[in-house]
Order: sequence, then structure tokens, then C-alpha cells
Amino acid sequence: MGKTTYKRLKGSQSFRQRLLLATLSSTPIIIDEIRADDMIPGLLRHEMSLLRLFETVSDDCVVEVNETGTRLKYKPGIIMGGKNLVHSCALTRSMGYYLEPLLVLGLFGKKPLSIRLKGVTDDPKDLSVDTIRNATLHILKRFGVPSEGLDLKIEARGVAPEGGGEVLLTVPNVQSLTAVQWVEEGMVKKIRGWTFSARVSSNFEHSMRFAARGIFNNLLPDVHIFNDHKSGPAAGKSPGYGISLVAETTAGCYISADTAVSCGRTEETGEIDVERRERKPAEDTGVEIASCLLQEIEKGGVVDSTHQGLLFILCALCQQDVSKVRVGTLSPHGVETLRNLKEFLGVTFSFRPDPSTGTVILTCVGSGLINLSRKLS
Amino acid sequence: MNTRVLLLYQKPHFIFFPAYAMAADDLMSSQKSHRMRKSGPTMRKKSEIDKKKRGVADNKQPNPRAFSVRSVVKAKRLKIRAVEKEQRRIHLPTADRTYGEPPPFVVVVQGPPGVGKSLVIKSLVKHFTHQNVPEVRGPITIVQGKKKRIQFVECPNDINGMIDCAKVADLAILLIDGSYGFEMETFEFLNIMQVHGFPKVMGVLTHLDKFKDVKKLRKTKQRLKHRFWTEIYNGAKLFYLSGLIHGKYSQREVLNLSRFISVIKFHPLSWRTSHPYVLADRLEDVTPPEKVQMDKKCDRNITLYGYLRGCNLKKGMKVHIAGVGDYSLAGVTALPDPCPLPSAAKKKGLRDREKLFYAPMSGIGDLLYDKDAVYININDHLVQYSKTDEENGEPANKGRGKDVGEDLVKSLQNTKYSVDEKLDKTFINLFGKKTSASSERKLEADAQSSPEGSDAESSEESQSDDDVDDHEMDVDSNDGKIKEKTELRGGRLRRKAIFKDEVDDSDEDGDDDDEEAEDAESDGNEDEDGEDESVSDSQDSDEDDVEESEDKVLGNISKWKEPLKEKGRKKNPNLMQIVYGASASSATALINENNEISDDEDFFKPKGEHSKNLGGGLDAGHVNSEDCSKFVNYGNLKNWKEKEVCEDIRDRFTTGDWSKAALRNKNSVAGDEGEDDELYGDFEDLETGEKHNDHENMESGTNEDVEAAERRLKKLALRAKFDAQYPFLLECHHLTILSTISFADKSELEDEDNDNGDGINPRNSEAKEPGFVDKLKEELEIRKQMNLLELNDLDEDTRIEIEGFRTGTYLRLEIHNVPYEMVDFFDPCHPVLIGGIGFGEDSAGYMQARLKKHRWHKKVLKTRDPIIVSIGWRRYQTIPVYAIEDRNGRHRMLKYTPEHMHCLAMFWGPLVPPNTGFVAFQNLSSNQTGFRITATSVVLEYNHQTHIAKKIKLVGHPCKIKKNTAFIKDMFTSDLEIARFEGSSVRTVSGIRGQVKKAGKNMLDNNAQEGIARCTFEDQIKMSDIVFLRAWTPVEVPQFYNPLTTALQPRDKTWTGMKTFRELRSEHNIPIPVNKDSLYKPIERKTKKFNPLVIPKKLQAELPFASKPKNKPARKRPDLDARRAVVMEPEERKAHAVVQHYKLISKVKTNKKKAKEQEKRKAYEAEKAKKEVVSKKRNREERRERYRTEDKQKKKMRRGQD
Repeated sequence: MGKTTYKRLKGSQSFRQRLLLATLSSTPIIIDEIRADDMIPGLLRHEMSLLRLFETVSDDCVVEVNETGTRLKYKPGIIMGGKNLVHSCALTRSMGYYLEPLLVLGLFGKKPLSIRLKGVTDDPKDLSVDTIRNATLHILKRFGVPSEGLDLKIEARGVAPEGGGEVLLTVPNVQSLTAVQWVEEGMVKKIRGWTFSARVSSNFEHSMRFAARGIFNNLLPDVHIFNDHKSGPAAGKSPGYGISLVAETTAGCYISADTAVSCGRTEETGEIDVERRERKPAEDTGVEIASCLLQEIEKGGVVDSTHQGLLFILCALCQQDVSKVRVGTLSPHGVETLRNLKEFLGVTFSFRPDPSTGTVILTCVGSGLINLSRKLS
Repeated sequence: MNTRVLLLYQKPHFIFFPAYAMAADDLMSSQKSHRMRKSGPTMRKKSEIDKKKRGVADNKQPNPRAFSVRSVVKAKRLKIRAVEKEQRRIHLPTADRTYGEPPPFVVVVQGPPGVGKSLVIKSLVKHFTHQNVPEVRGPITIVQGKKKRIQFVECPNDINGMIDCAKVADLAILLIDGSYGFEMETFEFLNIMQVHGFPKVMGVLTHLDKFKDVKKLRKTKQRLKHRFWTEIYNGAKLFYLSGLIHGKYSQREVLNLSRFISVIKFHPLSWRTSHPYVLADRLEDVTPPEKVQMDKKCDRNITLYGYLRGCNLKKGMKVHIAGVGDYSLAGVTALPDPCPLPSAAKKKGLRDREKLFYAPMSGIGDLLYDKDAVYININDHLVQYSKTDEENGEPANKGRGKDVGEDLVKSLQNTKYSVDEKLDKTFINLFGKKTSASSERKLEADAQSSPEGSDAESSEESQSDDDVDDHEMDVDSNDGKIKEKTELRGGRLRRKAIFKDEVDDSDEDGDDDDEEAEDAESDGNEDEDGEDESVSDSQDSDEDDVEESEDKVLGNISKWKEPLKEKGRKKNPNLMQIVYGASASSATALINENNEISDDEDFFKPKGEHSKNLGGGLDAGHVNSEDCSKFVNYGNLKNWKEKEVCEDIRDRFTTGDWSKAALRNKNSVAGDEGEDDELYGDFEDLETGEKHNDHENMESGTNEDVEAAERRLKKLALRAKFDAQYPFLLECHHLTILSTISFADKSELEDEDNDNGDGINPRNSEAKEPGFVDKLKEELEIRKQMNLLELNDLDEDTRIEIEGFRTGTYLRLEIHNVPYEMVDFFDPCHPVLIGGIGFGEDSAGYMQARLKKHRWHKKVLKTRDPIIVSIGWRRYQTIPVYAIEDRNGRHRMLKYTPEHMHCLAMFWGPLVPPNTGFVAFQNLSSNQTGFRITATSVVLEYNHQTHIAKKIKLVGHPCKIKKNTAFIKDMFTSDLEIARFEGSSVRTVSGIRGQVKKAGKNMLDNNAQEGIARCTFEDQIKMSDIVFLRAWTPVEVPQFYNPLTTALQPRDKTWTGMKTFRELRSEHNIPIPVNKDSLYKPIERKTKKFNPLVIPKKLQAELPFASKPKNKPARKRPDLDARRAVVMEPEERKAHAVVQHYKLISKVKTNKKKAKEQEKRKAYEAEKAKKEVVSKKRNREERRERYRTEDKQKKKMRRGQD
């Protein structure tokens, strides 16, 4: 009676997705050997923070971590959602890390979610908040998420070492997601970009914009890059700048690339980040990200490689209809996602490589997950 | 009675009169012809009827002004109401996701004991299949029509069985004993069904031959019908079975009943469409026998067989076996349909050989399919052996002459051709329609049994199956023995095969039947290997093993499979294996470097290699790789500034070549199709017609571009919708439609295409349009067709992997470690329900439900008394806490459920999605007299926390009263408690409000007692006052649920779980505890004695005179008025005397009158008493006479009956 059987997993890989899928499918999990052999064993700060976030959003979830943090026992509760929630994220990862699972989680809550996240808004590892706002949310809409109430407001910027950024995320809740047939990539009709600078001169922004535009000049005239220079409290605590580029196609696909550069000193964080690249000039950053975007476009697919995981998750959470999506080359994260989906939701994808375009068409039948926690009115 | 007379009277008038008149004219022309009446009420009525018949409108409109619009407001309201009514009728269309052949519909026959359930089933089965069923045990599947199968289930008489039946029934036939009337079981069953989604219901009245009186019969029918209607809906079908003829219902009535059953349409029920379920029609214990021998009570492994219903079943799914518990499926295998629908040839009705039925638990249809074998029960006396000339001579032929059939069979036994050669020659179309089993399985079915062999086969094997009655053969190969028996029974040809012992590895070329069987077996093994294990890296090696064993086993069989296998290996999409394959050992992932594309083979590369190349981008082991969705390699960026580089992707931009970009999509589609062609190339020669359809479909698809395909889909959807509306027109398989439609006119739909934009995204269409529902339906249909198209593109195994087993598949579910009791106490008469468990439905939590005590349950329910609920697939006992929502949103606990109102119930148990209904019981025993359903309810939400509060009153007494402040004792036990309640309001009985201030320690320094609170009041309170503090305390809902394990005990035993307080008390003779203070006592109110008011002298002196007390000293003598004497005047005295006289006279008179009256009354009473005696006597006589005659009549009747 009431005995719970835990799914046993190993390692810290795809931690976010495991937590997310465990919560959605209400499967209790035990993760063992989390960085057991590492210099710094156990869960990292951002992972703990993510667990906190899950606790905030859901009700009665049980998290047990052993002393070294190498073993996690997670029993999901009911996703509550709700208003006026606040979570301060760990500064080791940027908000994209938290927002990615939170977007999906919020859809299946009892009440619409409105949460204020505090911490680092942009870093090179994760999606920047601009990209999430301008590309990721559009992907969600494709799956039948109502556009009212789906918003991400950037209230303050914050870059890596100190953070200090603040965003307000609102996600409506849905009964279920609708399956998509999304194989047409279309042609890129416009490129939009957002640069920001916080506590640094806006010259960085200008040079990035200029460099990026230079790359696109050959291809498309409809390029516009907005700038967002922040100062004062809205600029966070550390200096830095960044860029996020989104290409919109005629078929309504959004392909993005972004990065952020922190000008602050990283010694204080105590992280061993041996391979720190030398800081490049801002122009180079602009060129690099523009090239990245073009490369993503070249790869094809209806989303960029970064969003593959999210796309697959959404497909798998759909009603029991066939979803068909085209993506470029499968990214490691995407493959991880596919495996996790099979593990948790039992959703298997079938693949059909399309050699002429170098893309893969993935087909799956949604798991038919419906928002169970929504109250019967 | 009147109408009847009238009819008799009228008949000659209307019909026979002209003939009669004619005859009269001929014969007796002299006679006057009959003159019709032309007036009178009869003729008036007649003319009216006549008018109606001729359709002449009555021009006499009843006051047209009465129906004109008088008030605009009223008219508007009426219109609104009409529209609303119409809207209410419409319900949102539900997506139909059952793509396979529909499973047989479950027809549950339910009724109280002794009402004739089995007989109805037997009659119906007899009607459909012309076969007699000796006994009804377990589901009986029959083919009812060309497109429809039904499964009859007899509902057992206990409530558990009723619950399980109600959960699976598509149609419930409620049998009612007409001579007795309704019984509780019927209503209970109706209520259970209503809660678990209301399937179709049909009532059948039986035992109507008990009525002798026609009028009474009619009245009873009427009464029962109306009662039935109030319970279901007006006009619900109630069928009458008038009586038995030779122990069977009359054929005509059974025919009518069967027609009613066959035309009933079933609508989807939300719980069932979202959960897969199987109603098992067979259960096998597959525990290794050694294990059972060692320990009889060891956990068993069982296999359950049945049609999959509801929705698709995936492999890893957990299931709930009703009455047993939750289990994960150890193995799922699709088996060939034991009772397949006939092939879709164009012909009317069913042929006799297609009238199959399958009832493994009833002891007929003795062909049992397993995934690797077919088992047959043959009675010993039926066993005959044909090959007497064999060396190891089995029992000899029983002296029957050789006939053609036997010869044929023998010739079959000595075949020279191998299976593959035969396959080339024959066209096997066994189960003409699509079965989910692969072609090999079909072969298996072919080998073992041919319930409906195709013409080709039958012509080859037994041409003269008409005159062959019975021929059997025994094949003895080296090790394996197969008995085969063909018989013509009831017009259908059946061949039986039995495996005597396990087929060994070292088996060479036996005859081809043998081979086929073995082939099938090994195939089965292969299937099992392939399916039971999730696709893993070890698959290859497994396959190899199988291959080896196959090679050993099969001899020449494996040869024909070789090319297939090679093809199969080649066709396997490698990407799937790479992604899902070797995930355990190393996290291989794929990336593609632009500059590394050399050819298609190197297109995808394991990530490990890649990272090596890059010099280890990811640190640590893969298990602990960093969780990062970005994967950008800044090092390998091209120089996009160069024009040439840019030209590569020029066409991906709107500035590029649009036609080329369009080609990109088109090419890919064409490429896919081409690939599919390649994929399906191998199967062409093996698969049956259905696959060919697929193929055709695809070929036709290649001719068209994407838009056309879309349009085609739409058209298809429309067609399907049309077909759904007019099912009788649906003749061919939808896939064949697909191919035909592609050449059909497409222009019709173009306008729709235009307004729908891309036509794929359902959100694009505008809502709230007049045809909103129609549009929605169309979208759903398009979605369905799209799904079908996508899924049919995939090969069988991948499809099963992706979407699971389709509904309608005959499945074999293997479940391990089931308690031995399930096998021991297995009763085929009770349905075995296996229901799939959705996400999160196996974890337990608190559920909040809106509950109402059933109006027929006599008592209210008590909080924390255990109830048994049937919810989802489960039945369990739980402890609810009832509550009601207050105005301010608080959930206040209730001790008892309200009598006629809904209340909230919070309980703990395995979660179900909101909007799931359930029924509650307190007692499941069958011998209970009352109505067993105690409550019906629906789950509102679930939660991991409870928010029920209970009112609590803290009572205290003042121990010291200052002005407005009082010190209250007994309310709290400690100062800490007081600190918690600081500021909360208190109240006295008399209504003086106050507030808790602080612990009043320092005020009562002399006795330092804890828990005395200082309170202030709005007025001074009294020492006799009682002070209350009203507060709310959270109530905990017990975390208790106890699954009902009724399948693990003898079915006739009543399941006992947790007992209620009442039951325990009555069992142990414990009286109900009584709180003395709660008892009512007679109220004693002492009369208050008030002291006289004393006004001080000083005050008195100051008072005004009016207010001054006027003290009168007590008089000794009476006052003057009292003492006054009256003296009358002489006249007065006279008058007085006269009055007195009169009074006296009248008094005497009345006295006399009274006496007289009394006397009279006495006499009357005596008379009356006398009369009464007489009449009593007479009455008694009369009654006696009447009874005597009645008795005589009855006796006569009884004799007449006998």
C-alpha cells in the first residue's frame, strides 16, 4: 500500500530532462552516482537550484539528496503553477537552463504559472532569454499553446559572475498539446537580432551589430538588429554584452543562435573553467554568431539544433496523434532527449533521413499526456 | 376494450363491404343494398381519419392570433431558448484514434439470478452461428455480420462481477423478470454503468408467459416500460420475450432481438478511449511445472488472451487486473485473430463458414491459439488415426472404408513440395482482412487451422469437403507428433492440429504441415525475442542465435527466408538503432560536420568518434556529461563572408531561387517515397492484399506533389465522414478509397483549401462559425487520415514500437508473479478485466470528489467509515472525509454526508484524472436486502495535501473579573498555547465579544498557574459566563486504501476489509460510548424569589409624589364597599321571585328531557348491537362462500396448468 517503485538512473547527464519527464509522467526516480568520481562530487549548485525550482512550482514533491550529493531521490508532486512565485537561480548557469524545462512544466500545471527568476540572464552555454522570448515561445505556440499569457519579460539583465538579472515568465496551462506536422522549413524571410550590453559601453553592441549585418548582407536585406543598452539596476551586477539572432522563415520556423560575453572576472566563482577562451573583440562575436546562424540554416530542419530537445519533448507530449517534424542533423542533446523520452514516456520516434537535404524526418505518436492536475470546474 | 370493439365493428364496413355488396348484387339483386351511415359520431371520426390519410390539411386553424408574436421580448426569449436547446444537444466531436479493425463489441447480459441470462445468450449464439452452446462461461465471440463481431458476456450475480462488466460493456442487455418486476440488481447495474460512462442499454422482459391475463400483462408491460424510461431516458428500448417454446425463446423474437443488437451504434466513452483494456477470454498458467511441484503456493506466471480495446497498448505499460492488482506486462504478443471478420468480398450476408465463434472458456471452439502453438481438445472417442501402415502403428482405423477425403489427406501427408515451392504456387488469402500479425504468423494460422480457408487452399487440400465428414491423420516424424483432424461441423471446415510433445531441434524434413508448424513456432520465438526485449544492441547477436537455431530446425525452410532476412537487415533504419540501440554501454550520438560529408554511409557518425576527433570537447564520462542543449562548434565555422560559401545556402533565403527551394521539399518527399518503395520491396511476395494496398497507395502518392496530397487527404476525410454517417455505403477498405480518390476530381475542395491556409494547422480555422462543429469534425477526420497515412508508411515492427498495439488486435499478455490464488480460484464465469494504467495513475494521492449519497441508500454516510469505491479500473476500500465548501472557500468537515445534497469527499488512493466518476459501496455481500450502492461521485481534482478544517471550540471560565478584563482559565493548557492565540476573538454565551490578550501570569502571582489568559471584553462578564474561542483545526485524511482482491478468493465468498465502527461494536458487543454531558436532561427552572424592593428613606424623600411608594397599612376591618348590604324593594322582590320560579321550571324540564333522550339512546344502541351481530354473521357467511369459490377456481386453474 502506497509503496513507490523508483526508476533508477545513473549520472548527471540530462538532469533537467529527467526531472522534467519524471514530473510530467509522475515517475519517482533515483539517480545514483552523480559525479561520483569527480573532483567536485555530487550535484552542482545550478542543479540544486533547479530542484528548488521544481519544489517551488510543484506541490508535495519529495527531494532527498545524500550528504555528498551523489544520490538523488526525487518523487514528483503535482505541478501547481500559480502567481507571484520567485526563484533565485544559481549563478553557475544562466536562466536558459532553468527556463527550458520550466516552459514545458508550466503548461501542465494546475494554475497558470507566473514566476520571477533572478540570476544570470545570458551566458554562452545556454539559450539566452532573448532567444527564448523570440524563438522558443513561437515553437510552443505551434503546439497549440495559447499565445495569451505566454510571455517572457526581461526586467533586468545580468551576466555571468554576479548575475542580478530578472525575468518574469508567464505560461498558460493547457489541457493537452496538439500534434504537429511540421516538415516544411520554408525560406528565411527575415532575420531579427537583439543585442544587449550591461555595464559596458554600448559600442560593443554597435560593433556586434555591424559585423553581423555584414555577414547577412550577401543573403538577405531584411535584417534588423535591435539594441538594448542597460544601465543602473536594470543592468545587473556584472559587465557584459551579448547577441541573439533569430531567422524567421516563410513557413513560420524560427532558427536562432546566440551568445553572451561576460567581461567580469571569473575567479570569484571558484569554478574550474580551465578552457576559458580569450576574450575576443565584439566584432568577432558578431561574426561568429551570424555564422552560427547561417550554419544552423544550412543544416536545415524546422528548428535549430539547440531547440531539438524541446521540439522532441513537445512532440512526445502531444495527443495520441502522429507528429512529424524535420530537423537538421541530430544534436547530442536531441539524441539524449529521444532516449529519455523512450525511457519515461515510452515514446519512440521513427527516423527517415533525407539525404538530399541532409535532414532527418522524425515521426512519433504522442504519449497522450493530458493535464491531470487541472481542476474540474 | 372500446377500440377493440370498434375495430371489429368497422372491419366489415371498410374492407369486406364492397365484396359483399358485389356478391349480393350477383346473387340477390332484389335485395336492398346496404346504405352507409352518413352522420353520427362514428362517421365524423371516420371522415377525419380519412382526411388525415389523404393528407388534406385541416384548414380550420385553431385561432391563429393566439400564436402570433405578441411581445418582442418574449419572442426573443423563446428564440434564445430554442437556440440554447439546440446547442445543448450538440457535443464536441471526439477524436477516434482506433485505426485497426474494431474489436468485437461487448454485449453484457445482466439480470438478477434466474431470469434467463444464459438462455438468452445461448439463443442469440444459436441464432447467429447455428451452434449450440452447452454452457456460457466467459466471453463468447461471434462474427455477426460482414463488419461486426460481438462478444457476449454473462454478468455474474455478485456485485464485483457487475462492476467489472459495467466497465467493459458496450451494450448492456438488462434482463428483467416481467412476472416479478424490477429487482435491485438491475438498478444497481444501471447506476454503476452511469457512473463509469453510460454504454448503450437495452431492457428485455422475460417470463412473460407467467401472465394468464392479457390485460394484466399489458398493464405490467406498460408499467415496467415507464419505470425503465424514468431510469434511462424516455423511449429507451425495452424488448419483450413472450415465453419459452421447448425451453428456448421463440426464434422470431430472438431474431428481432438480434436485429436490435446489430443496429445499435456505440459512442466512445471518455475513460475507455483513453485507456487500453482487454477483456480476457482465456487464461493460462504458464509457470514452469517444476516450480509448482516444488511449491504449490508459488507465484505464478500467467498468460491472458483477449482483444485489445480502448486505445493502443504500448509495451512497457502497466496494467491493473481487476480484483488482483497492478502488474507490469512481462510480454505482449499479437496473435492472429481467432475469430476474424470475413474477407471483404462483394457478396450479401455471411456464408456459413464465416459464421465463426470463439469461446475458449465455454468449452467450444476447441482450437486454442498461442503464439507458438495451437492447442486442441479432442475427445477420446473422436480420435481416429488414418495412417495404419506406419511402423509405430497407432490405434487402427475404426473400420471405415477409404473415401476420397481420406485419400486426399493421405496424399497431402506425403508431399514432395516444400513450403516455399508451395507458396509460390498458392495464393493464400486466409484472413482476408488485415490482421496485425505478420505474414509469418498468418502462415502459422494457415498451418494449424483453416476456419475459412480460401478457395485455392481448399481446392488443393480437400476438394470434396462436402462429402467428407471426418478424416483424421496422425503424422509421426522422428520426434514431434502432430495430430491433425479435419471435420465438417455445422457447415464449416475445421482442421485441428495438436502437438504431442515439444518439437526438438534435430528435426529434418517432415511433411510440410509439420514444417509449417515448426516454422511458425520458431517464428514465434523470433518474434518474442524481437519484441519482449526492448531494442538493444544485443539484438543482432540474438538474431544470429535465432538464425542458427533456425538453420538447425528448419532445413530448407530457412532457405526461403534468407533473402528476406538479408533484406530485413538492410532495410532496418540504422538511425533508429543508433539512437535507441546501444544506449546502455556508451552514449553514442550523432552529429554531422558539414565538411565531412563524403557519402551517405558516413553521413551519421557516432559522437564518441567525433569527440575524439575534436580532442574531447566533453569532459568526464558520458554518464555525467554536462546538461547543455547547445551544441555549437565555433571552431568549424565557415567563412560566410565569401560569396561562394553563401551561394550554398542562397536558396534557403527568400532572396534565392524560390523554385529551387520548393524543389527541396518536393525532392525530399519524392525521395522518401522512393525509399519506402525500397523498404516494401521485399514484402510484396509475402504480404497479403492489404499490404499491396499500401504499396499502391504509395505509388499513387509519388505521382503527386505535396499540395495534391493535402487536398487528397481532405477529400478522404470528407469521404470518411460521409461513410461514418452512412455506414451501409461503406464498401471497400479506406485504403482502396485512397487510391481511387487520387484520380478523382480535386477542384471541389480548392476553395476550402484556400480559406484554411496551410490546411494542416487546425488552429488556423476560425472558431465560432456556424459550422463550427462540422469543421471540427472535419479537422479530426483529416488528422486521422494523416495519422493513418504516416503509420502505414512504417513497417510492422516499427509501427508497433511507435504507436503500440492497435485496438482490435488479439493479444497475448504475459504477466509474471501473480498470486497463486488467482489461478486456483479462477472462475471463467467472472470477467477478467485487464486495464491499462495511464501516466501517474499508479501513484497514490489525495483526491477530492463531489459525492452524493444515493437516494435509495437509507442511511447517511459517516466520515471515516471505510467505503469501497469502484473508480477507473480499480476497486478499493478507502476512508473518506466528507466536507462542504463554506462561503469563504474553506472546506469544513462534515461528520455525516448531507441527506439530499452533494458534498465533497476527500480520500486517499491511486490517482485518477479529474472528471472520473465512481460508485461507493459499504457492503458487497449478495445477501443484502437493500440497495448496495451508497453513493455516486465524480473526482474533481487531486492533490497531495488536504485542506479540510474542522470547527473547534475552546471553552473556558472566568476566574477573575476586573472591569472589562477577565482572566480565563481552562481554555488553554499552557502559556505557549496562549501565545499562539493572542489576538483571537472570544465570546461568551450571552454574546459579549472579546479578545485574547496575553497569558495572565503576573496578575495571579499567588498561584502561578499556567494557561490562564487575560482577555478583554466589550462589557463586564459574569463569573457564571462561559467563554468560547472558536477556531479551525486541519483534519487529516487517513492514508489508507486497500485494493479489493476478490479474484484471489473463492468468488462466492464475500470480501471483507476494514470494518466500520458500527460493525465492530455490534460484533464485540460494545455499547456506543456516551458522553454524559451530551445527554439531555429535564430542564429544571427554579422559580426565582425576588427580595422586595427597598428604597432608601433618603431617596424616597426626594422622589416626586407619583413615584413615591405609597405605604398603606393593613386594614383590620373590610372596607366600606365590602360591608354594604342590599335591601330590595317589594316590586323588586316579586320580580326576583318570579324569575327564580321560571328558572326552576325550565331546569326541571330540561332534566326530564335529558332523561328521556338517554332512554331513547339506550334503546337505539341495543337495537344497533343486535343488527350488527346479524350483519356480521351474514358477512362472514358471504365471505366464506366467496373464498370457497375462488379457491375452487384457483385449483381448477392450477390443474389446468399442470
